[in-house]
Amino acid sequence: MSDKEDKTIIRIKEIESINLARDDIRDEVIETKKAVERDNDLLANKVHQSFIDNNIKSFDIVGAIGAGKTALLEKITEKLSSQYRILVICGDITTRVDADRIEKHNAETIQINTGRECALNAYHIHKIIKNKDLKNYDVVFIENVGNLICPSDFILGTDKRLIVVSTTEGEWVVEKHPMLFKMSDIAVINKFDLKERLGTDVDKMISDAKKINPKIEVITTSAKTGENIEKLMNLMGL
Amino acid sequence: MKEELVKIEELIRSFDDIDKSDIKGLMQRFFTKLSNRLENYVGDYPTFIEPVYLEDNVKIGDDVLLGPNVYIGANSLIQDYVEISNTIIFDNVKIGQNFKLENCIVAKDSSFNFKNLNIKSSVLIGAANSKDELQSIKF
Ligand SMILES: Nc1nc2c(ncn2[C@@H]2O[C@H](COP(=O)(O)OP(=O)(O)OP(=O)(O)O)[C@@H](O)[C@H]2O)c(=O)[nH]1
Ligand SMILES: [Mg+2]
Repeated sequence: MSDKEDKTIIRIKEIESINLARDDIRDEVIETKKAVERDNDLLANKVHQSFIDNNIKSFDIVGAIGAGKTALLEKITEKLSSQYRILVICGDITTRVDADRIEKHNAETIQINTGRECALNAYHIHKIIKNKDLKNYDVVFIENVGNLICPSDFILGTDKRLIVVSTTEGEWVVEKHPMLFKMSDIAVINKFDLKERLGTDVDKMISDAKKINPKIEVITTSAKTGENIEKLMNLMGL
Repeated sequence: MKEELVKIEELIRSFDDIDKSDIKGLMQRFFTKLSNRLENYVGDYPTFIEPVYLEDNVKIGDDVLLGPNVYIGANSLIQDYVEISNTIIFDNVKIGQNFKLENCIVAKDSSFNFKNLNIKSSVLIGAANSKDELQSIKF
């Protein structure tokens, strides 16, 4: 990156509360928010170009807290790690729990602790790949911080975005969180093994997702039994 | 890891004739060996991109981003809005508010008592109460 470009990229922070801003700074707050979003997209494009230049398949996995993002990644890396060189970037407020779980399946992991920020952004990912020789990887998975709200503000520069929800969140979870479904390529409804016990209306979840985003691929999985994991990998092109 | 650290400290000891050709390679080697250590800091959930190694009693302010490749020596103070990557900070250092350090080495007992600095690939030494007083060498 040139120095000039570098200078235009300021620290990316979320500025959500425009309505809290006093009249005399309102304009500045709005402009700053726009600049931050623009810089995130700019960086995300750079990140994506680096992945493409190195023939890397890349995925951003967002979803509800505890929906099974890590469990699915464990299953997928387990199946892929003999064949592909995998890097998994895990975003969590704190701890290295998820990275440690995935590392057991022979994938390299990097943990990002976002502290008080509720999503990863392209700046975090760019910081990491600047320090990595991407020729050493075939696939990059990024597990975002678990929640269905903040990650919609920041694209990360991956080929595809997966959104993971599960039968335990209830059948309204999709319609209540449309933004991320709009921005994702594949919707995974996980913990399908619990459907009968919980009586969750999965058909409603599927049709809600399709209504919000007609182009989205929807698949039901169980990271516990392994059901449809291969099919999910096919959808991801793996 | 400690071995490289000692060498780097030795290298920057005589500020006037630092062998710049050695620094990059040494830092690179140090970072490939750097592990994570985040248990003993004082502060409120900063952002960490691993590896980040904090010696005991490092104080960290609000909205701080550390990593990747950051080593911070004991009893150092990192104030609010600071961002540090690929950098070695020795013991007992004070970093000012809104400093951005990339690929730097900060000598032991350094103290920067001013706000706002954006600096890359430099060795920083001593006490400074303003940007003008800052002693730094680019490498
Ligand atoms: N029954 C069942 N349990 C599952 C399934 N997938 C995950 N779990 C369990 O659900 C819990 C949460 O799973 P994780 O993989 O940690 O979920 P996550 O989305 O990564 O969670 P965060 O990263 O904390 O947001 C764990 O106890 C898993 O064992 C599934 O398909 N079926
Ligand atoms: Mg997880």
